[in-house]
Amino acid sequence: MNSSRTVLRMEGISKAFAGVAVLRDASLEAWGGEALALMGANGAGKSTLMNILGGNVASDHGRISIDGSNVAIRSAREAALKGIAFVHQELAMLPTLTVADNIFIDNLPVSGPFISTADMRRRSQALLGRLGSTVSPESRIEELSIGDRQLVEIARALRHQPRIIIFDEPTSSLTEPERRRLFKVIRGLKAEGVLIIYITHFLDEIFSICERVTVMRNGETVWSSPMATVDAAKVVHLMLGVSAGEGRIREPTASPGGSLLQVRGLRRSGVLKDITFEIRAGEIVGLWGLLGSGRTELMRALVGLDPIDDGTIWWKGKSGLSNIAPRQLHREVGFVTEDRRGEGVHLALSIRENLALPNLKSLLSNFLLIDAGRERELAHAMIGRLNIKASGQDQAVGTLSGGNQQKIVFGRWLAANPRLFLLDEPTRGLDVSAKSEIMRLMVDLANQGCGVLLVSSELEELMRVCDRYLVMNRGSLISELPGSATAHELMAAIAESGNGNGSW
Amino acid sequence: MAGLRAMAEWLIGRGFLVVFVIVFLFFSVVTRHFFELENLLNIFSAMAPLAITAAGLALVVMSGRLDISIGSIAFLSCAIGALLMRASGLNPVLAAVIVVGCGALLGAVNAFIVVVLRVNSLIATLSTMIAYRGIALQLTDALLVQLPPDIRFIGNTRLGPIPVDILVMLLIVIPVHLLQSRTVFGRRIMAMGNDIAVARRLGLPVDLTGFISFVLSGVLASLGGILTTIQNGAVSPFLGSGWEFTALAAIVVGGISLLGGRGTIFFSVLPGVFIFEMIRNGLTNLGANPYSYRLVGGVVIFAAMYADALKSGRSLMKRTLRSRP
Repeated sequence: MNSSRTVLRMEGISKAFAGVAVLRDASLEAWGGEALALMGANGAGKSTLMNILGGNVASDHGRISIDGSNVAIRSAREAALKGIAFVHQELAMLPTLTVADNIFIDNLPVSGPFISTADMRRRSQALLGRLGSTVSPESRIEELSIGDRQLVEIARALRHQPRIIIFDEPTSSLTEPERRRLFKVIRGLKAEGVLIIYITHFLDEIFSICERVTVMRNGETVWSSPMATVDAAKVVHLMLGVSAGEGRIREPTASPGGSLLQVRGLRRSGVLKDITFEIRAGEIVGLWGLLGSGRTELMRALVGLDPIDDGTIWWKGKSGLSNIAPRQLHREVGFVTEDRRGEGVHLALSIRENLALPNLKSLLSNFLLIDAGRERELAHAMIGRLNIKASGQDQAVGTLSGGNQQKIVFGRWLAANPRLFLLDEPTRGLDVSAKSEIMRLMVDLANQGCGVLLVSSELEELMRVCDRYLVMNRGSLISELPGSATAHELMAAIAESGNGNGSW
Repeated sequence: MAGLRAMAEWLIGRGFLVVFVIVFLFFSVVTRHFFELENLLNIFSAMAPLAITAAGLALVVMSGRLDISIGSIAFLSCAIGALLMRASGLNPVLAAVIVVGCGALLGAVNAFIVVVLRVNSLIATLSTMIAYRGIALQLTDALLVQLPPDIRFIGNTRLGPIPVDILVMLLIVIPVHLLQSRTVFGRRIMAMGNDIAVARRLGLPVDLTGFISFVLSGVLASLGGILTTIQNGAVSPFLGSGWEFTALAAIVVGGISLLGGRGTIFFSVLPGVFIFEMIRNGLTNLGANPYSYRLVGGVVIFAAMYADALKSGRSLMKRTLRSRP
C-alpha cells in the first residue's frame, strides 16, 4: 500500500437535531484512489454524516481524521481548504452566467479592478479538459444540459485540488450517456488518487464504480466491507433491516372486484419505461422500489402532473372501461402525498374551511353564497369519520399534528367519493399511532370498494396492508408479487435488477 | 415560406429593435424636424438625467430587487443642495458633493431596510419613495427653489456642437457599465440576480453586495437629479416624479429582466431610455396632445414585452427539449 495515500477516518460521530438522534456513533473509513459507496434508506443519516464532513453541519461528538491527524471542520470553506469537496445533488449553478464565471464565482481572478477573463477562461478550459468536457467556458449555463452543468460543478470543486470528493446522488437526473461519462470522470479522479464518497439509491452503480461499501441504518453504520464481499441483495437487506413490524391490518384479499384502472405501455422518456398494470376495486396495491426507482414519477404521470410520451390509461366509468387522459383522471382519483402543503392544505385556515374548499360548489345556497350550515355539517361529519383530534372545526389546520393534517387531506377527497386513491408516502413524518390510523383509513376505503395504489419507503408499512406488490426499478415495473410475499422476497425483488445493468 | 418564417423568428427575437426602428422611421417621415442632428442631440441631452438614474436602478434590478425610491431620492437630495445654496450661498461644487452624499445616505437607508431588516425591496422603497418626497416637499414648502443666477448658464453649455449633458451622461454611465460587466462586484450582482440562495450557498457576500447596490442606486439618482436641476435652473416640486416607473420601463424594454441576472448597462439602459425620450420628442414635433405620451409609452412597453415573452417562451421550449435528448 502506498504510504502517501489519503486516509479518511470518521469515528464515533453523533448528532441530534432538536433532541432527536440522527447519527449514533457512526463511523467510516475510506482510502484515496478508491470510491466508497455510502448506502442507506431515506433518513438513515448519510446526508447528515456527509454534511458533517463537508462542514455544513457540526457534529455533537466524534472525530474526523485525514492522514492520521485530527481535523476540525467548522464551515464549508474550511472543508474546501482541507481538500474536501461536496458535489450536491442540487447543483449550485447561476444559469445566466458563463461556465467560467460559474467555476470561479467565489474567487474571481482579477488584474487591476477588472476580472481577467482570459485567465479565467484558460483555467476553466484546463479544469474541464481534466474531466473530458468539451463545453466552452464562454457558454451560458442555461444553454447546457443537466449533465454538462454537473461537470461544471465538479470542475468548480476541482479548483481547490480536493483529496476527497463527495458525490450526493449525482446520477438522479442524468441521461444514460451522461451517466457513463460521469463514471469515466470518477474513474479518472480515482486514478489521480482522489478519495471518492459516492451516495446513490441505484444499486447497480455502486458495483460498477465503487471499491468499498458502508451501509447506514437509523443513524448507525451497520456494515463496512470491500464491495466484492457483498451482493445487491445483501446491501438491500442491510439498508432496510429486518424489523419485526406490526401485524397485518387486513389479510390480502383473495377476491378483488372488477378492474378499476388499467395502464398500458405508459412511457416518459428518461423516466418511465413501458409501464403496464391494473388496479381492481377493493385492493391495495403497493408500489415498491427504492427512492429514484420512478414510483413518484409514475404517480405524477398518471394524473397529468408530468407529461407522458406514450401509453394509454383506461378508467372504469359508468359504461365500462374507457380511455382517459391523465388530467381527467386527476379529477376522478384522490391524490395524497407527503407534501401536505403542496397538496393544498391551507395551514392558516380552519378545519372547516379546508374541508369545504374543494367542495364549494355543492355547498352553495340559492343566492350563490356558501351555506354556512351545510359547511358545518360537512366538517362535523368528516371530523367524526376520520377521527380528527381537534378542539373544534374552527381550529387552524396549522396548529394540528402532522397526522391530523394528513387526515384533513384525506377528508378533502372523501367528500367527493373517489373510487381510486393514489397515495405517495402518505405517512411520511408521522408518529407511529398516526401512521396506524392512516393505514387503517386506507383499509376502510378498500373495504368500501375503493382501489388504492400506495407508495411507501417503509417495507413494514406496505406489508401491513398490501394485497399485491408492483416492484419498480429505474422506471420499469420489473416484477409483481402477491400480498403473501415475505420481506425477504420483496428485498430480493429490487436487488435482482441491481446486479444487471440499468440502461434505458 | 421557410424564409418568411426565419425572418419572423429573427424579428421576434429582436422585438425591441423592431419597435425602435418602426417608431424612429415613423417620426422621421411624418414630422419635419425630427430627423435632424440638432433634434437628435436634443433627445440625448434631455434623456441624460433619466439615463443616469436608470443605470443605478438597473444595478438593483439585476441583483433581483427593485428600487422605486430613485425619483424621490433625486428630489430630496437636490432640494437639500439647492436650499443650502440659497440660504448660505454655499459653493455650488460643495453643494453638489453634499447632494451626492445625501443620495448615498438615502440609498443606505433603503439598503438597511432591505438587507438588514429583510423587508421586501418593493415595499421598502415604496415607503421611502413616499417618505423622501414628503420630507422634500416640507423642506421646500412645495415651491420652486431657484438656483443662484451664476450657475444657471451651465445648463446650456456645449462642447463644440455637443451639449455637455450628453458627455456627463457618458462619463457616468460608461463607468457603471464597466463596474457591472467587468468587476467582481458586477459578477456578484448577477449571481444574486440568478438566485440569491445559491449565491449565498456559494459563500458570496450577498448582504454587502446588496447594500452597496442600493447605495449606488441612491448616488446615481442624486447625480441624475443634479443634471436635471441644472437643465431647469431650479428644483421643482415635481423633480423626479414618475422617474421610477419610466426608468423601470426603459430598462426592461432595453432587455434587463425584472427577475434579475440579465442585461447590460450601456446597451440596455441607453437604448431603453432613448426610445421613451424619442417618443416624447416625436410626439411634440407632431404637435400631439401631451397626454398622449403616456398612452403611446404604454403601448411601446407592451409591444416590446410581448415580443420578449414570445421569445423567452420559445427559448424555454428549446431548452427543455435539449436537456432531454
